[in-house]
Amino acid sequence: MNAPLFKQMMKTNRKGISNYAFGSAFYMLLMFWLYPGMAANTDALNDLLKSMPEGVVNAFNIQGGFGSMEAFISGEYYGLILPILLSIFSLMVSTALLARLVDQGSMAYLLSTPTTRRQVATTQAAVLTVGLLIIMLVTTASGFLGNAWFIGDKFEFNGSRFFRLNLVAWMLFTAVGGISFFISAVMNDEKKALGTSGTIVFGMFALDMIAKVSDSVAWLKDVSIFSLYRPGAIATGGGDPAVASVVLLLIGLACYVGGIIAFSRRDLPL
Amino acid sequence: MLIVEGLTKQFANGRGIMDVSFTVRQGEVFGFLGPNGAGKSTTIRHIMGFMKPDRGFAMINGLDCWKEQGTVQKHVGYLPGEIAFIEGMTGRSFLSFIAAMQRVDSSEKRARLIERLQFDDTTPIRKMSKGMKQKLGIVAAFMHDPALIILDEPTSGLDPLMQQTFIELLLEEKAKGTTFLMSSHSFPEIERTCDRAAIIKDGRIVAINNIHELQSLQRKLIVIVFEREADAEHFAQNGQIPVESRDDRSVTVAVQGNYNKLIQEASKYHIRSLDITAQNLEQVFMHYYDRRDNAR
Repeated sequence: MNAPLFKQMMKTNRKGISNYAFGSAFYMLLMFWLYPGMAANTDALNDLLKSMPEGVVNAFNIQGGFGSMEAFISGEYYGLILPILLSIFSLMVSTALLARLVDQGSMAYLLSTPTTRRQVATTQAAVLTVGLLIIMLVTTASGFLGNAWFIGDKFEFNGSRFFRLNLVAWMLFTAVGGISFFISAVMNDEKKALGTSGTIVFGMFALDMIAKVSDSVAWLKDVSIFSLYRPGAIATGGGDPAVASVVLLLIGLACYVGGIIAFSRRDLPL
Repeated sequence: MLIVEGLTKQFANGRGIMDVSFTVRQGEVFGFLGPNGAGKSTTIRHIMGFMKPDRGFAMINGLDCWKEQGTVQKHVGYLPGEIAFIEGMTGRSFLSFIAAMQRVDSSEKRARLIERLQFDDTTPIRKMSKGMKQKLGIVAAFMHDPALIILDEPTSGLDPLMQQTFIELLLEEKAKGTTFLMSSHSFPEIERTCDRAAIIKDGRIVAINNIHELQSLQRKLIVIVFEREADAEHFAQNGQIPVESRDDRSVTVAVQGNYNKLIQEASKYHIRSLDITAQNLEQVFMHYYDRRDNAR
């Protein structure tokens, strides 16, 4: 770790992190505000869900239904919008933290000071991790805040399930961040790095979705880390959050460590 | 101070550097001279530890530049050939950031350098001109008083007055015992500052000489315009001085060390004007390169 570099990089990425965090919090509060209006018609909505093809319901992670607040939010936010939003954040920031600095050449300045490459890469990994943590903390906090403001005792809200949901989501983005960080560490070209990690991450996202729609290609989920993230199931008390969290965390850590080592050993075209 | 020994790096496209060796002594200004694409920057990248050599090594103060990357840099100031700063910063915030990374309190010297080079460090970097960025880079390379300063094409983008200021600055640092490695594709730039210089071409060192030897090896094309056409013809026919070409009154001669002879011969005539033509490095050291090519 390198404190001045960490400080500078947090400053550079401050705007992006706070935009995503506020956007996420705003959407959460909006959903919590809307829920009481929807909850009155829970049965009708659940019937509507049942009338839809099961594959589609699974694909969009809305199988949790509308029975409780955490089931509702797992479908309306954690199922589709949050993964896409935070995947984009991970891809952009991880690419900016290494590949862009190498591509533009400003990495030369960082490495012309008494700082090892390992320190630089570790610091950048920390910036990404802390950024994701901040967004997830704000998102989680806004959920509890929304509950206090709009839900209260009127409707069901299981705080520990909601917390587990956020924990698994955070671990998912540790893994997604790790993968895009690794790609960013081994590439010289910013656009290529973004293209490659984007293809991998959204490719896996799409494979998981397809696998859920049709049983005949269900094996596709085995190649996707998104299959470890089942917000609907977690919101209704299942989904193996502990196993999923550990596996995702290990994938993330392995990618971060791999990226740091690869970056320390390779030729840099500076 | 700096030892480069048998440094070899082959790139996929067939280019690279072959067996580059030279030594820069403490307190010396060493020039690294070569046409564009000859391997100057590649060699410097190895010295900065950005690349791992296929064979050979570069060493600063006894520390291997690749293996000890991060420690070596304590002794080094660096001005990249193509400067890229970090986005969204002003000159001042960039210098403060680099100073924090260098772990040296250099605020006093930084202020002196900024005043000397006359630029406004509160300007956002993206609004800076090429010359201003170059000045900012020079401050970043000099401010922490490193023992060795590596400069890749340092005067590109600077106006002649600033080039002069830069040279004064360099000589002052040299007087304090700082060692310099400076790459350039222009001989006049090296001539004014360096004690010794290496000439590199196609990834190989073709010569390492002290600057006076190189000056005598240097070949200059001088255009002499005579008052009378007959004089021009007579001078050209005379054969005392090798003539490159003649056009009415003007004669172009190639001079390499034999300046006295030229002046003696030319003084016999009325001369209207005299001009030294600009040449690129290969033309300047044409004989040197030729000899080398023939030997192969």
